[in-house]
Amino acid sequence: MKRHRRVAAACAAWIVVGTSGLAVGEEPTTAPSEPPPATSPEIPVPAEPTTDDVSDDELRALEAALQADAEQPSSAREASDDGAAPTVASTSGPAGANQVALDIAFILDVAGAWFSAEEPLQLGAHDPTVTGFNFQQLELSLGASVDPYFRFDANLVFALFGVEIEEAYASTLSLPANLKVRAGLFLTQFGRLNATHPHSWSFVDQPIVNGKFFGSEGSRGLGTELSWLSPLPWYVDVIGAVTMADGECCARSFYGGDNLGVRTPADLLYTTRVEQFFPLSDTLSLLWGISAQFGPNSTGLGNRSEIYGTDLYLRYRPLQSTSRMALSLQLEGMLRTRQVPDDVLQDFGGRGELVWSMTPRWETGARYELVTGVEDDPLDPDWVGERQRISAQATFYPSHFSRLRLQPSVDLPSWFEDPVYAVMLSLEVLVGAHGAHEY
Amino acid sequence: MIRIILFTIALLLPGLAHAEVRVVATLADYGAMVREIGGDRVKVDVLAPHSIDPHYVDPRPNLILKLNKADLLIENGLELESAWLDPLVKQARNPKINHGSDGHFIAAEFATLIDVPAGKIERSEGDVHPGGNPHFYCDPTSAISISHALRDKLTKLDPAGAETYRANTKRFTQELWRFAQAQAIRFAKLPAERRRVVTYHKSLGYLLRWLQIEEVATIEPKPGIPPNPRHVASVLQTMKSKHARVIVQEEYYPRKTSETLAQLGVGEVVVLPAASDFGGGEGYIQHLSEMTEALYAALSED
Repeated sequence: MKRHRRVAAACAAWIVVGTSGLAVGEEPTTAPSEPPPATSPEIPVPAEPTTDDVSDDELRALEAALQADAEQPSSAREASDDGAAPTVASTSGPAGANQVALDIAFILDVAGAWFSAEEPLQLGAHDPTVTGFNFQQLELSLGASVDPYFRFDANLVFALFGVEIEEAYASTLSLPANLKVRAGLFLTQFGRLNATHPHSWSFVDQPIVNGKFFGSEGSRGLGTELSWLSPLPWYVDVIGAVTMADGECCARSFYGGDNLGVRTPADLLYTTRVEQFFPLSDTLSLLWGISAQFGPNSTGLGNRSEIYGTDLYLRYRPLQSTSRMALSLQLEGMLRTRQVPDDVLQDFGGRGELVWSMTPRWETGARYELVTGVEDDPLDPDWVGERQRISAQATFYPSHFSRLRLQPSVDLPSWFEDPVYAVMLSLEVLVGAHGAHEY
Repeated sequence: MIRIILFTIALLLPGLAHAEVRVVATLADYGAMVREIGGDRVKVDVLAPHSIDPHYVDPRPNLILKLNKADLLIENGLELESAWLDPLVKQARNPKINHGSDGHFIAAEFATLIDVPAGKIERSEGDVHPGGNPHFYCDPTSAISISHALRDKLTKLDPAGAETYRANTKRFTQELWRFAQAQAIRFAKLPAERRRVVTYHKSLGYLLRWLQIEEVATIEPKPGIPPNPRHVASVLQTMKSKHARVIVQEEYYPRKTSETLAQLGVGEVVVLPAASDFGGGEGYIQHLSEMTEALYAALSED
């Protein structure tokens, strides 16, 4: 554990040094693009400007002017802005056609389901869980730029008995040195599926391992995240997040439902991820990620939990195709260790998914999941052995805004006498802005 | 210490040493245009493969690297790339190309648009773009205005290249204008009853307007909605009643229905290359000429 923290600290220090270095180096290109304010002090003009380059003297004068303006009292600044066109006027176009962009979308998921057992082991908060009709969720997703520096994103989920803020965060738009910061409540970027919403999943329900290790809502927390796009010639994204370690829904391997407070930095939850992309050819590509999560658990003072994961996404899409076909394979595995009084528990979970988009309208896929169990698990006392689940799906997309998905599955918990069979038919409709899909 | 780190970073970023403007275009046609205007002063990358429907491009993360180093991003706009471009730009962590920055160029702002919905649109009308038909990349008139705007943009980003950009733009737009005029005259000489086609998607409207060809029907009943038997039957009826023999579509649309219709309606299917083969070095005018030649051959055939 200590070694991990030292490595993280070293990385952070390097990033900070890199930032300050680059920021200094970049100023000459950014500063001159700002028009000099009317109230700025005199700027020395070279007698014969021979080149377009800005001299050090000029730069210093510009910096001083910017500094002076920044220190000006806000009332004076407002007075001096009077001559400028008001922001509102500039955003309302001729026929009122242009408005400040705010992307709003409602996504409704409902499903009819049949289970062969009375109490099926569905772990996801938005999974169909009973035989009959199921209200999975009504999601309201909002997003817009705040100003040139921040973007705002939120996902509010309406269930039958209330509203839940699933995500609400600000992310930076113009940090130097390939850095980006998110702050607020967000799904952590552990693995491939966790940070995404059911709308972009290939199956109706949440993978078992995500439900068992993270919680019914996946790994999510209040905190902040720093990510860095490396300057290497291939895509390497390095992500580190620190969030609160509590939440039965979203950090169950850590503090879970018991909030023991934060006394030292070790009482927070740390999530790290390195994601790399390899375009193997014009048609075949591979995304590989490794993730880790460290934090305290509530089984005793100083007891820690760790989750390690790796994920692969292999995708084939031909360039010459009139059917827009694509074939993708996803593999994800996670290993969890937990210190509990007098013992260390270790379990594993994973899944493999093969999805074939045959045409823009039709898609089919298969999924295999395996999650192990341990004796005397304080979180899942019944889960003493392996659980496997096999699912298949056939999906029909009438348009990009609607989807009908049929999914049969067989669930084989080793501690059950009989397998649990299930069939689900889920309908999703979307109105409003259709968010783009990430890779 | 900082100097050493900066030096190392400079070594890692070979592109930094060049003075050229690094341009990323979402579509191959804009890549081809900006290559004409910028010449050696620009390094151009294109995001969407030219044979792929620009609505549905895979947002592969290696595209993020191109955007990360770009000085200028050229996008079509009108939500044509909305399914894939935004997450790439967000991930690129490059303030120069954010919306509203100097390095973000939206071609739609300079195009002469058609099919602009008069009032509120309903999604029950299909995948209608609220700002107008976004497929103006095959419209020479719009391409000329876009080229002028690109010249101004490049001049702003790289004032030292002003003369190059001016001269290149003049040469390119003059050539394009002459070509467009010649084709318009050539097509206008065809009898009116021959200048009728069926298209697959509402994506060739600008090309047809330029060449004064009438679009009598589209195989998609509504934009983005795949054909159904009843609608296809009505298309066949229209083909027969209006004596339209040519079905024209881009290479990425399904061909089975079109081919069957062509057989039943005694016509032919013309499959057009959808965009300039940027990687293969094809120029924009060359690409337009490929389209007009294929179309002219089909329309003038007995």
